[in-house]
Amino acid sequence: MPPVLAPATAGSTRRAFLAASAGLALLVAGCTAGSPETPAVSTEEADRLAGQVAVQEAVVAAYAAATTADPALALSDLAAQATEQLDRLRAAASSSTASPATSSSAPPAAPAGGDVRTWLREQVATAASAHARACARQTGARAALLGSIAAGLRGHEAALA
Amino acid sequence: MRGGRDVADDGRLDEGTETAALNEVVAAEHAAVWGYGTVGAALPEDARGPAAAAEVAHRDARDRLVAMLESRGADPVPREAGYTLPFPVLSAVDAATLAVVLEEGVSAAWVRLLDQSAEPAVRELAVEELGAAEVRAVGWRTSAGRIPVTDAFPGL
Repeated sequence: MPPVLAPATAGSTRRAFLAASAGLALLVAGCTAGSPETPAVSTEEADRLAGQVAVQEAVVAAYAAATTADPALALSDLAAQATEQLDRLRAAASSSTASPATSSSAPPAAPAGGDVRTWLREQVATAASAHARACARQTGARAALLGSIAAGLRGHEAALA
Repeated sequence: MRGGRDVADDGRLDEGTETAALNEVVAAEHAAVWGYGTVGAALPEDARGPAAAAEVAHRDARDRLVAMLESRGADPVPREAGYTLPFPVLSAVDAATLAVVLEEGVSAAWVRLLDQSAEPAVRELAVEELGAAEVRAVGWRTSAGRIPVTDAFPGL
């Protein structure tokens, strides 16, 4: 992988760097338990990944609840990204050996008349920490995906500050 | 192991794949430290605080990784003599845009490390630093006028 900036003496470019990054994205998107090039997914790892689907479902539900409670917050971009993250997690979990977890918990309720933005930020922060912990216990493309989603939610926290 | 890139022939992750990925992060951090010098120079003096803080953060991360590599007997990749900017940096917006490039590039290297690492402790470090890079990137995207200011999948 070329460095962030091309060395002044080399011919590599940022485009090459981004192309290398895109290759990793394809690796993540195409990861399956049966790929000959990737390590087998343990049942424990697959269960943990399925568990993170439920965590992300709670994030999507929290954005919906916050939008209902305070439409002026203009959360559409962040909510859309949270849904993208959920879709990618579901796809990765369904390609593992375990069945994706189904969320049985009630959707979160935003505080009526309270500080909805702060409440939402706390929900996002909790999910980011959960994904980060799960990332450390995964390997390969699943660790990369969970780590990236955890970081994305850290960015949401910053945007909601 | 010293020198070359080591990827297990059977695709499994081991210390060799991890060490190679750690060195890719070191290379990215070297570039970020260098790049933030340019970012800071293009900003008004009273707006240089975030650039200075980011430079320190990247220097600290790089030094931590170098120490980690040395502790396992690997040679950390040295910084380049110079780097080529992806575009001219002539304004505060250019500076913020360059900072976004730096943070996104470093993020890609951290994600690569997550993909290649064998040790949970290394992944803990990587996901922490990846999150910090994305938080900085949000600030710079805001300064650069980018919308949205967040990225659903930093580094991927």
